[in-house]
Amino acid sequence: MVERRIALAWFTGARAGAALGLCLAAALGPGQPSRAQPPYALIGQAAPDFALHAASGGNERLSEHRGAVVVLSFWSSQCTSCRTQLAALNRSLATYRSAGLTILGIGVDDDTARAVDFARAARVDFALLLDPAKVVGRSYQVDNLPMTVLIDRNGTVRQALRDYNANSDGLYLQKLRDLLNE
Amino acid sequence: MLHRPPTRVPSAAPRRHRWRRATLARLLSGVLLCALAPLALAAPPADAPTSAAGAPAATAGAGDQVPGVPPPPQTGGDVTRKMDEFLQSLKQPAQPAESTAGAPDTRSLDDQIQGLKKDVVDLNRDLFVLEEELLFPSNTQVAVFLSMDVGQFFALDSVQLKIDRKEVLNYLYTPREVDALLKGGVQRLYLGNLKVGSHEVVAFFNGKGPNDRPYKRGAWLRFEKGVGAKYLELKIDDRQHKLEPEFEIKDWE
Repeated sequence: MVERRIALAWFTGARAGAALGLCLAAALGPGQPSRAQPPYALIGQAAPDFALHAASGGNERLSEHRGAVVVLSFWSSQCTSCRTQLAALNRSLATYRSAGLTILGIGVDDDTARAVDFARAARVDFALLLDPAKVVGRSYQVDNLPMTVLIDRNGTVRQALRDYNANSDGLYLQKLRDLLNE
Repeated sequence: MLHRPPTRVPSAAPRRHRWRRATLARLLSGVLLCALAPLALAAPPADAPTSAAGAPAATAGAGDQVPGVPPPPQTGGDVTRKMDEFLQSLKQPAQPAESTAGAPDTRSLDDQIQGLKKDVVDLNRDLFVLEEELLFPSNTQVAVFLSMDVGQFFALDSVQLKIDRKEVLNYLYTPREVDALLKGGVQRLYLGNLKVGSHEVVAFFNGKGPNDRPYKRGAWLRFEKGVGAKYLELKIDDRQHKLEPEFEIKDWE
């Protein structure tokens, strides 16, 4: 009888622990399905224009790249997957630059010096811009890092990739090819 | 000899039901015929001279008799009139195609598209002018321009503009814009409204000066705003004898 009660208590405790673990994993775990995000409001609208300082010097204005497919990648020095994504973007730039691809990385760090250090270490062939006031980040409604926005040759926002995972690169390349072929 | 497959009559449907179905079908066809008869009478016959002959039946008066066209029925006048109008509207676009002996008239279509595009561009321009006139009336308008000459001692990076101690603009220059300014371009930097009276404008110029060093200078001007529009110009020039740039705000009287 006593063994039966112990077994029942163990079973109940194990069940409660498993439920708690599942809840925690759903809330915090990176491997779980992503939270439902609201649709990106800027899709189909004209991309907000901006001009920002580049970490390497000089300034870049978005409207000067009208006619090219522009990829905006929002990054931060504190974001671990941003470095991986910037490297993937650099590879795509090497492939599709001749087809009219322009990539602009926009850092939303508060600390400009830290962002410049990150930009130097990233070693990418495209401009890494600095947005410490987060003016551009707000206008593009950045709610996740890294975040990639694809703008077509007419200056219209066409895609926004807000969840970066193992499948993101393939999806990004597919969307990018579609835009370059238009 | 072809063997016709026997049609299978469901055994669940007795003869009485089949008779009911046939009666219902006959009744429905009768109702449809009665409903469509006035419409069929109202429509002109296919060989009747219509819009191509330049005498549409719908436009003829109630008492006129167009030869070859049956008179419209007296009942259901609204429906027949609408039907006639619809038929006429369908036939009218076919007129230009007949004039070119049945050839595909793609050229006229292109001309129409070009005309529409031109109309849109003209309308957009008119709206832009109207918007500017409404937002910036000439009696309160203040415009600030920027020009740059030579640029040997100064590489422009940004301009910050303050009017009456309030920042109204902070503009970053890209290399292409600096090139355009060095080629003689004049940029309209700011357009706003100010009331009549005395005002103050301050401009800060950021960039790289001699020896590629960060360089920041300011220029200041107090001006009187009258009834008409006021135009100011920020001028960046090279002062050769001092080997440094010169910044000036000029009031266009």
